[in-house]
Amino acid sequence: MQKVVERILNLLAFLLTTDRPVTAHEVRHTVAGYDRDNDEAFRRMFERDKDLLRSLGVPLATKATDAWEVETGYVVPNDEYGLLDPELDDDERVALLLARQAVLMGGTAEAFEPLLKLGGLPALASPEPFAANLALDDESIARVFEATTDRLVIAFGYRGVPRRVAPYGLVHRRGNWYVVGPEEGRDEVKAFRLDRVESDITVTTTPFLRPAGVKVSDAIPGAPWEAGGEDVEVVVLFEPELAWWAERRITDRASTETLADGGLRATIPVRNVDAFFAWMIDFADKAVIEGPQDIRSRFVDRVRGVQ
Amino acid sequence: MSSAKTVQRLFRILSMLPWVIANPGCTVREVVKRFDYSSPRQLANDLDLVFVCGLPGYGPGELMVAYIDDDEVVVELADYFSRPIRLTPPEALQLIGAGRAVLSSGAAPDALASAVEKLERMLFADVEQMLTIDLSEPPLLNELRSAVERSGVISITYTALGTGETTVRDIEPWQLQSALGNWYLTAWCRRAGAERVFRLDRIQSVEDVEGEASVERRTESVAVGYTPNAGETIATLRLGEKARWVSQYYPVDVVSDDDRGVVVRLSAYDPKVAAKLLIRLGSHVELLDGDRVSVARQELREQILSRYPEAAKS
Repeated sequence: MQKVVERILNLLAFLLTTDRPVTAHEVRHTVAGYDRDNDEAFRRMFERDKDLLRSLGVPLATKATDAWEVETGYVVPNDEYGLLDPELDDDERVALLLARQAVLMGGTAEAFEPLLKLGGLPALASPEPFAANLALDDESIARVFEATTDRLVIAFGYRGVPRRVAPYGLVHRRGNWYVVGPEEGRDEVKAFRLDRVESDITVTTTPFLRPAGVKVSDAIPGAPWEAGGEDVEVVVLFEPELAWWAERRITDRASTETLADGGLRATIPVRNVDAFFAWMIDFADKAVIEGPQDIRSRFVDRVRGVQ
Repeated sequence: MSSAKTVQRLFRILSMLPWVIANPGCTVREVVKRFDYSSPRQLANDLDLVFVCGLPGYGPGELMVAYIDDDEVVVELADYFSRPIRLTPPEALQLIGAGRAVLSSGAAPDALASAVEKLERMLFADVEQMLTIDLSEPPLLNELRSAVERSGVISITYTALGTGETTVRDIEPWQLQSALGNWYLTAWCRRAGAERVFRLDRIQSVEDVEGEASVERRTESVAVGYTPNAGETIATLRLGEKARWVSQYYPVDVVSDDDRGVVVRLSAYDPKVAAKLLIRLGSHVELLDGDRVSVARQELREQILSRYPEAAKS
């Protein structure tokens, strides 16, 4: 390992101090540690080293070495390599580490590693009294996040339709991840649930402009059943035993009436009927859908397993 | 030597050098602690390695200088490594995401708010909040949080998810977790004489109880990887196209995946929880195996339909 680490440090030092693309040939004959006799051995070593550098976050790019584009070389643009110093103090570093330890985001990176780049840690404090699982499929979310910061349109399938969306932002709410933005050529800012995306998400090369003043979280519904198409007003009677729980969950878009026995009658605007049914099932026999009739019979069919 | 170890070592060297360069006069002890070296010896090994690297020519003027002088760490001729490598998008997402998550739970330290702000300003420059994390802070979270912190005893009024039964019980709260959109409290339940998990939105009220916690808190692994449905496999399901999302959303083992659907094994601590999921999925799921879940589904079905007299007719 010693030799590999030395060779890569030499390679990176060379790339960082050379402000033009350098060819593999030049690397082989200039940088200490490469095999100059065996072509295949050199090729394997160099491929491996490039991968290693990229996995560390080094922006290693390829570029033509001259205007005729006969040869390509490797370059690490100095302004892209280095971290702009966010000027964290040690209290802030500790707070970040504790947060990172409390939150499970998926992926393989050690909690501690990104913090090394930010100046390491002076001391440890007692951990947060809670843990959160953001149910994050690291790969696709990281890709969307990157497209968001690079301002590039992403493409994916959703509800049976291929879409191209300008990702204005990423939102996690109530256990779900959403990418928020307009479809290309449209104005309406919409939220797409990432776990409902039907294909791989690809990042295109089409740039977009993000208008000022967009608040991405506004596109996310206040309750799961408020997402999607048209409102249907559903009337539900909640039994006194669980009326308090219902009251906590419905948003102020609903109107409610407290009954003499402590029960609750609520008129709830529902857009996503599936999500609403899921919530109703949680109440078992402590709630009943009074109307409209077609929603009520769809619910009965759902419970019987015929729909 | 595995390449993961190589990456780790390079990562640390390339993070340590900029800090040492920016903090001349820093001590061995400081660097060892800050960059998580297991010993001064390990740091010395890294410095020895840096000492033989540098720019082509590789003579005294081209190699970096790195050594320990008395108690001081010295690095010279390494200006090209004076900045750490930029954060990759996944790294930035992890830090800011975790920071935002903790902030959204309320009662986070001020240092976290300023740290997240600084990182966002550095990464996004002109854009306001690109990443929003909302763990939807439930009522009572702060009371429970402080009860966990002071290892207190509390009495809760709780309605069980499975049975709908409401009970009052004394508990010793251990840890709060947010998973799959809900908050959970792990606690020692004095009524059950066992460890129990409570869903926060089902806790109707909380009251302090005199006295001190009597059972030692289970602390292993801080339970970050905790999933509320962990337990033995209790059902095997075939998910239709419209129920496919379940295989990504819940902790399941995928058995097979073909044009007839995805077959998964589901674990749950309570068959009633699985029964709810099945009813919710209606005709888009088929229960292939799991007697207890089948019984629970039938019971729940009858319970719900008792409120709908028209269901009995057809």
